[in-house]
Amino acid sequence: MTNWVFAVFILLISLWYLSFLATRLDRLHHRVETSWANLDVLLQKRAAVALEIAHSDIADPASSLLLTGAAYQARDAEIQTRSAAESGLSGALGLLLEDSQHLATAADNALLTELSALTDKIRVAIALHKDAVTRTQMVRKKVIVRIFRLAGTAPLPVTYEFESDVL
Amino acid sequence: MLTRTLKIGIVCPYSWDTPGGVQNHIRDLAEFLIAAGHEVSVLAPAMDEENLPVYVVHAGKPISIPYNGAVARVLFGPVAFSRVRQWIAQGDFDLLHLHEPAIPSISLLACWAADGPMVGTFHAAAKRQKIIFAIGPILEPAIEKLSARIAVSEAARLTLTDHLDTDAVVIPNGIYASRYQEGTPQEKWQGNTIGFIGRFEEPRKGLSILLEALPVIARFAPDVKVFVAGPGDPKEVEKQIDPQLRHRFSFLGKISEEEKADFMSSIAIYVAPNTGGESFGIILAEALAGGACVVASDIPAFEDLLGQGEFGGLFKSEDPTELAKVVIELLRDKDRRENLSRAGRLRGQSFDWNVIAQRIYSVYEMSIVGSEKVKLASDTRSWNRFLSKDDK
Repeated sequence: MTNWVFAVFILLISLWYLSFLATRLDRLHHRVETSWANLDVLLQKRAAVALEIAHSDIADPASSLLLTGAAYQARDAEIQTRSAAESGLSGALGLLLEDSQHLATAADNALLTELSALTDKIRVAIALHKDAVTRTQMVRKKVIVRIFRLAGTAPLPVTYEFESDVL
Repeated sequence: MLTRTLKIGIVCPYSWDTPGGVQNHIRDLAEFLIAAGHEVSVLAPAMDEENLPVYVVHAGKPISIPYNGAVARVLFGPVAFSRVRQWIAQGDFDLLHLHEPAIPSISLLACWAADGPMVGTFHAAAKRQKIIFAIGPILEPAIEKLSARIAVSEAARLTLTDHLDTDAVVIPNGIYASRYQEGTPQEKWQGNTIGFIGRFEEPRKGLSILLEALPVIARFAPDVKVFVAGPGDPKEVEKQIDPQLRHRFSFLGKISEEEKADFMSSIAIYVAPNTGGESFGIILAEALAGGACVVASDIPAFEDLLGQGEFGGLFKSEDPTELAKVVIELLRDKDRRENLSRAGRLRGQSFDWNVIAQRIYSVYEMSIVGSEKVKLASDTRSWNRFLSKDDK
């Protein structure tokens, strides 16, 4: 009799643990999604600002061409080419900013300030996204999660390469 | 900075009426956010239920436990837990900001109980402790719920990565830098003077290191004077001082913000000989903003804050001889002192609340996007929903 009660007890505990793990995983997936959505919005904004800079007086015609191309690429990139496109845009912006600091006028300065504020935010967003992804990957590696397929059909989240060198 | 009005719930783990860095940080942040038009409610334990600011909700009387080399007044337990749940359920918050959620406190309880956008700020810096292997697995699922983690310094961030294997955004503590800029130099504190502010009775504040260094300093600078400000009973400390040097010490007691500003702009050198347990060093940031020339021990937090010596002198922690050496060099070199204090003033500006609160707010924004309001976790768990239906 006691054995039987004990078995039921163990069963209940494991059921509770499984549901706990599933909730935890669900929450993590949610976090990955929101942090990516954040990052995505910020990157889109950056591309828009880059276009504006390209059309302003900060950029000479050649850099303007380069920047416009990079910004459009970053905007339209498919998920597979996103990483390369964003790195490209970072590179183009970096080149331009390096030697434009001293000749910017007040109106252009507003654009540059906007860009640097955006860059700061992107840096934070990347950190948040990366953390969410690594946590999720860690939990999904657990044997129990794999045996009971607690992750369901959700794809395993990945970090993008550009995240480490985007800025 | 205002894009929309938020309802923000902040949880303070430590007793509201004991002085401390975390409490000050929360008070300033809450007041800044309220001034910016947000609705803020702070849940905090307190010894004295009366005399709390209007935005503070009393969570209960704290208990004292030893933690990280000091006594922490925190609160937890079943009663506190239900109090926290009630606060969350009634608050209808857009976001919760939990401070120090990795210690046993109402912050951790709130982290357990809530579901939704949550930001956690980690203040403490500590060496890696064995105990984390035992409590890590319990903490992890809770800490994971935070949509964003903030560490107040590089040291705090390292503590977090070491202990809980998770990363954080570094946003330093804020100060009202403008308050310290307007200090007027007071003649009584000028000359070859050394300043120290803090609860000097606490060993980790390191006043004894300064006491040991003083005989050497006095040999090279016979007219040196030391001003010690901060709450505490000077009698015990005075016993340790060499009788010949006793008249060089003045204990000012607790000083007000304005006096602090005057103090920082008058003294020749501000000394922070802390031996550890310090994660950010708000007083150093204030000293820099006030234009004092700073000498500090080389604990990680201070090294970071002083830019590896760019904004102030550093000496080997717990080494009075080296402290004396650095202080004497600076007392002799007025130009270098002025250069340091000029660089320090600029550095101090970067910790101003206008800058810091903006950074914290952008983390808030990122945690909120696409998320709903803060709810009790038990309401969203299907298991519990099923059970509570049976109850009704």
